[in-house]
Amino acid sequence: MPGSPSALDTDQALCLDGVTKIYRSAGGDVTALGGVTLALREGTFTAVMGPSGSGKSTLLQCAAGLDAPTSGRILVGGVEMSGASEAELTKFRRGRIGFVFQHFNLLPTLSVLQNTTLPLRLAGKRIDRRQAVEMLTRVGLGSRLDHLPSQLSGGQQQRVAIARALVTRPRLVFADEPTGALDTRSAREVLGLLQEAVRIDGRTLVMVTHDPVAASYADQVLFLADGVLVGRLANPTAAGVAERMTLLAAGVAHRATAAGRA
Amino acid sequence: MLALARTSLTRRAGAFLATFLVLLFGAVMIMAFASMLDTAGQADLISSGGEETLTTMGSVVGGWGLCLVAFAAASTIGLSVRQRTAEIALLKSAGAAPAQVTRMVVAEAGLIALVATVAAVAPAYAAGSQLLRLLVDTGQVDAHVSFAFGPIALSIGCGVTVLSSVLAAWAATRKRARSRVTDLLLDAATDTGQMTWKRVVSATVLIVAGVYLGVLTLTALRDKGPDAMPVAGQSAILVSVGLALLAPGLVRLATAAAGRLFMHRGTAGYLMVQNLRHRTGQAAAALMPVILFTGIGTGILYLQLVENQAAAAAGYTATNEQNNIQTLNLVVIGMIVAFACIMLINTIIAATLQRAREFAQLRLAGATPSQVLAAVRAEGALVVLTGIVAGAVAGMCTVVPYSVVRTGQWIPTVTPWLFVGIVAVAVTAALGAGLGSARRLLRRRAVEAMA
Repeated sequence: MPGSPSALDTDQALCLDGVTKIYRSAGGDVTALGGVTLALREGTFTAVMGPSGSGKSTLLQCAAGLDAPTSGRILVGGVEMSGASEAELTKFRRGRIGFVFQHFNLLPTLSVLQNTTLPLRLAGKRIDRRQAVEMLTRVGLGSRLDHLPSQLSGGQQQRVAIARALVTRPRLVFADEPTGALDTRSAREVLGLLQEAVRIDGRTLVMVTHDPVAASYADQVLFLADGVLVGRLANPTAAGVAERMTLLAAGVAHRATAAGRA
Repeated sequence: MLALARTSLTRRAGAFLATFLVLLFGAVMIMAFASMLDTAGQADLISSGGEETLTTMGSVVGGWGLCLVAFAAASTIGLSVRQRTAEIALLKSAGAAPAQVTRMVVAEAGLIALVATVAAVAPAYAAGSQLLRLLVDTGQVDAHVSFAFGPIALSIGCGVTVLSSVLAAWAATRKRARSRVTDLLLDAATDTGQMTWKRVVSATVLIVAGVYLGVLTLTALRDKGPDAMPVAGQSAILVSVGLALLAPGLVRLATAAAGRLFMHRGTAGYLMVQNLRHRTGQAAAALMPVILFTGIGTGILYLQLVENQAAAAAGYTATNEQNNIQTLNLVVIGMIVAFACIMLINTIIAATLQRAREFAQLRLAGATPSQVLAAVRAEGALVVLTGIVAGAVAGMCTVVPYSVVRTGQWIPTVTPWLFVGIVAVAVTAALGAGLGSARRLLRRRAVEAMA
């Protein structure tokens, strides 16, 4: 059970220790994460699932250093994510963490190749054009180096985003609903590429999704409800994941009704 | 469509503020000058000399102010429509016919212009009565003339502001409303700011007219002395407006030159060149007011300085009256230059605030806030530099001929500090507005800005 390890191994690829996130608003505080503890081994592919509002995007954003947790520690490869300022957090993320977003987030004014090499350029690293081209060839876009994102389909844009996420050779890659805006065939291609990054390159991948088929590509699925981890499924199948999700949704609905009655 | 336009206005109040402010200041300026015509209309109250001063002030100076306001309205509204290309695509894909889209945007522009005009009445009344007091104080109008603010001020102020806004919105939307949705989405991502032949022709006509007036000053008006001033002065205005119309081409030229220099020197230069290459239209919108401000400011203010120097050299001791007239000229020019400066700040803030998503994407790709700011600074610097060079050229079209005629020198031997001051104001206003807005956007977390 990743939610309650006896002794947290902080040397793992990713480690969350009692991470909470509370959004303060005028209408009262909203707890998005109610204390999440987990450790992910190097070279694993983990899917995070949960009903909407379960806090899965918040978990990803905190773990990836895009948002600051209210309390708790986050360690990437044994190094604690630190830095109060945006600049320090950005420097921490560079080289350690890659991202793939639902809406691709490619810069519209940069070509495919320029988008791919952008993280290297921003980090002030030497730009290995051959390596970037190789990466783009691997995702099937070796012949579209000079196209602008607006000239590509959604699936192609997401493949560029994957090449961009991998180009800095990060230890950890986060994917937030990477297939959410894609058709079935493009989704399969994208998931295959993400799986390849884990199997062949040994990257550690964490993917938030609501799609049981997407989750079945992972080594394990973590289930989140109301901001806490409530279950784990190893070697998942789409049917098995779907069943657990149905139960989970029913449980959440039940708890909500019970709370309403109380 | 009117109901849709009203909803769209209330939901996006912030986005319309920039347009509103430019139209407000413009309407104040037009009405203040036009009220001189209302005042002159009470002819029985005035000696003939005073009436002429008032009419000149109202029609000539007001006329130039009017052109400037019409131009400002066109460029501000053009920018806001360009920024809404994606929204227009959405409306169209939801089933809106081209005519419906056009009607909505035009109705919005008309409503904003109307509100701006109404809001402008009180400040315009105050500004107009101050202007009259200045004319009375400088002895150009009889002291017993009473200020009138009536049908001429209201109709010209309202007419010009609303009409130029509606026309600008119509012109900017028409083509977009007719385009295919896919082309629009491509346009929304990149905006290469292609120049139409109409734009090139109008720009050429204006520049040729401006240069012609400069040549006229040098030849036919050679011996007219100070009487050549109004003709020489118009050169700078015409050439400034002409060059401002060519802004997209100037941005491309500057980007090509900068590309050679900065493309391979650091991230900021690289991002600047890439952005300017694909978002020429947005940068051109920021460049236009820089050219107008620098060109008109340099041309007209140095015209006055050269005249002062020539008068001093001829042994005239400036009478009290001449000093007063000079003060008056400077106040009037100051109003126009201040308007150009407001338009500059406004346009740059509107163009920068539009880039929230782009900045967030850069940060998610690994850019620190200071790297984003460095790119914004580099872009702003290139735009301002281009604007100052173009503005200086426009200003010279007035200053050089007049200097030759009055002092026999190509380059006047008056203080260079005024130009330094104009450049300093342009740089501070443009970079201050751009970096200030960018800083505001960078305060939010990147993931929030994406939502």
